[in-house]
Amino acid sequence: MKINFDTQTLEINPSGDNYLAVMDGKRILVEIIRVDAAQGRMDLRFIELSESDSIRESVSKSVYVSSDMAKRWVTINGHTLMLTKTSGAKQGVRHDHAGGLIAPMPGQVRSVSVSVGDFVKKGQTLLTMEAMKMEIRIQALKDGKVKSVFAAQGQTVEREQILIEMEE
Amino acid sequence: MFNKILIANRGEIAIRIMRACKELGIKTVAVYSEADANAQHVQLADEAVLLGDAAPKESYLNMDKLIDTAIKTQADAIHPGYGFLSENASFAATVESAGLTFIGPSADSIRAMGDKAESKILMKQSGVPTIPGFDLGIGFGQAPYGDDKTKAKRSELNAGLLTSVREIGYPVLIKASAGGGGKGMRVVNEESELSEAIESARSEALNSFGDERLLIEKYLADAHHIEFQVFGDKHGNIVHLFERECSVQRRHQKIIEETPSPLLIPELREQMGQAAVAAAKAVNYYNAGTIEFIFDPKTSQYYFLEMNTRLQVEHPITELTAGIDLVQWQIRIAAGEKFPFTQSDFHQHGHAIECRVYAEDPANGFLPSTGSLLQFIEPHGPGIRVDSGFSTSSEVNHFYDPLLAKLIVHAENRETAIQRMQTALSEFVVHGVVTNIDFMQAVMAHEDFANGKVSTRWVEHTLESGSLLPDVQQQAVELQRLIAAALADVVFVGSKSQPAVSNETDPFNPWKQTKSYRN
Repeated sequence: MKINFDTQTLEINPSGDNYLAVMDGKRILVEIIRVDAAQGRMDLRFIELSESDSIRESVSKSVYVSSDMAKRWVTINGHTLMLTKTSGAKQGVRHDHAGGLIAPMPGQVRSVSVSVGDFVKKGQTLLTMEAMKMEIRIQALKDGKVKSVFAAQGQTVEREQILIEMEE
Repeated sequence: MFNKILIANRGEIAIRIMRACKELGIKTVAVYSEADANAQHVQLADEAVLLGDAAPKESYLNMDKLIDTAIKTQADAIHPGYGFLSENASFAATVESAGLTFIGPSADSIRAMGDKAESKILMKQSGVPTIPGFDLGIGFGQAPYGDDKTKAKRSELNAGLLTSVREIGYPVLIKASAGGGGKGMRVVNEESELSEAIESARSEALNSFGDERLLIEKYLADAHHIEFQVFGDKHGNIVHLFERECSVQRRHQKIIEETPSPLLIPELREQMGQAAVAAAKAVNYYNAGTIEFIFDPKTSQYYFLEMNTRLQVEHPITELTAGIDLVQWQIRIAAGEKFPFTQSDFHQHGHAIECRVYAEDPANGFLPSTGSLLQFIEPHGPGIRVDSGFSTSSEVNHFYDPLLAKLIVHAENRETAIQRMQTALSEFVVHGVVTNIDFMQAVMAHEDFANGKVSTRWVEHTLESGSLLPDVQQQAVELQRLIAAALADVVFVGSKSQPAVSNETDPFNPWKQTKSYRN
């Protein structure tokens, strides 16, 4: 599949147990050596392939990645940079998370009124949060089943943080 | 000894003080503002009391609330940390008159050193070198217009002025007495530029501060900032604990400090240390304090700049090289203990460097960056110390100083310390806010830093020349970065058979189309 970050496009697909990334004619086989999800750390081996699939260069690196909606914070070789995932061809069309189940501003979760597995109706208040002395209700945009709840009462959440995920 | 101490501060310094209290078996009271309800210093204290609104004047600067809280929680002393009320003489006095102990110098010492003009006179009298210069009264340097009598008087004054400036020697700096922020400041390289510079500085000072008084001082183009730690007890004992070189600055604020200074030879260190002790003695100083000097590397002349009558941000590098816990001793001294060491007990061991990790963007004028910390991984290893007040998911808000952590390394010599700092910086991972880590890495790698040629204006000048922008766009790394970002979506959230990555900006989006995979 193609993935776009800012103005760059990368093609990346599974290849056996590994992944094959292609960009600007370069072909990199990526082996996932180790993953530490709590630290957002991946130990990766980048193997650059020649046209005949022989190994041109191979290097192992620890990388750290954090996601905040479309933003990806990536640390590699000790340098950190923020990338923004874009929708490529659909540039300019913002996915403004019509689900409305994200925090619209930084604040604190006042109450969570649903649990995983609950069936909810469109318009039902799922969670309330407080930000800048305002109460904000997070409501279901359509009928459905609650898949995950990522926020707890009293928790401070940042802008655009996912609060509740719905099944389909 | 005290039973309980209230810490009138936040962030890393509050935690640093709590650690010292814990070691001494003293209970701690943290205070906090609404914005800091989830802050680390609140969680680590034995008791925590909400002061009020996020605005400092409603919380960390509110003397009445602080003293009230100390009395209610039955604390016997208040540690002010640095910043906030630490150099407020009337706070120190009020704390004492409430029957509590202020962990710091006396209110009188703070007051005497707080006034720049007064302290300069005091230093002169005590034989501490001060920067040559004088106040420029009203009328001085003004063009001789007006009636004949005024004209004559002004020319006479101006002739005297020219002689006085010649005595200082060019270049000189003209600055507003009421000044700050570089307003009303002029560098004058030769006599022919003097009167025009005075005129324009005066009008700028008047416009900016409503006060036309000016100061003329010797201008040191490549000056270094070298300060001396002093420490004394309430029984008249006082020592210095050597220097800290703090010349890497942006917006007149330190970002990297080290000790020993690469510029000082032992004789000079000895001399400056004695001057620092003399300066402290002139105000009957006790507890921890710092004498700041401006140092001219061309002439090796040093001049008293000011005294900070409190613990400094950069105190850890002194702790590591002089081998003393300054905060613990601050508390013991405040409780009346005698300082058992003399000057000859102290020696500098190895080399220490501190980098201040700020939530700020060097590419954007070092402006603060706020947000939630998505990831915060501190480096660990021999000779590495991190004093921080944050962890993953902490909020960095816009109310307070954006200092995230102090990264401090200690090694046997300067070269090894720099290498250690470079490694430690590369292992410090902060996501969610922009930091100056890459920038400090670029400073560490710069030959001027290696050669000890960093003056206080170096960052400004070097940024202009573009040689401090880290090379993060390196092609191989750039591709690896994109791959890592793309893979993270799969590895941390989805699965290989059903990758979450699609032409979707957000893999976590609850409304993402999963139907396509079913077909």
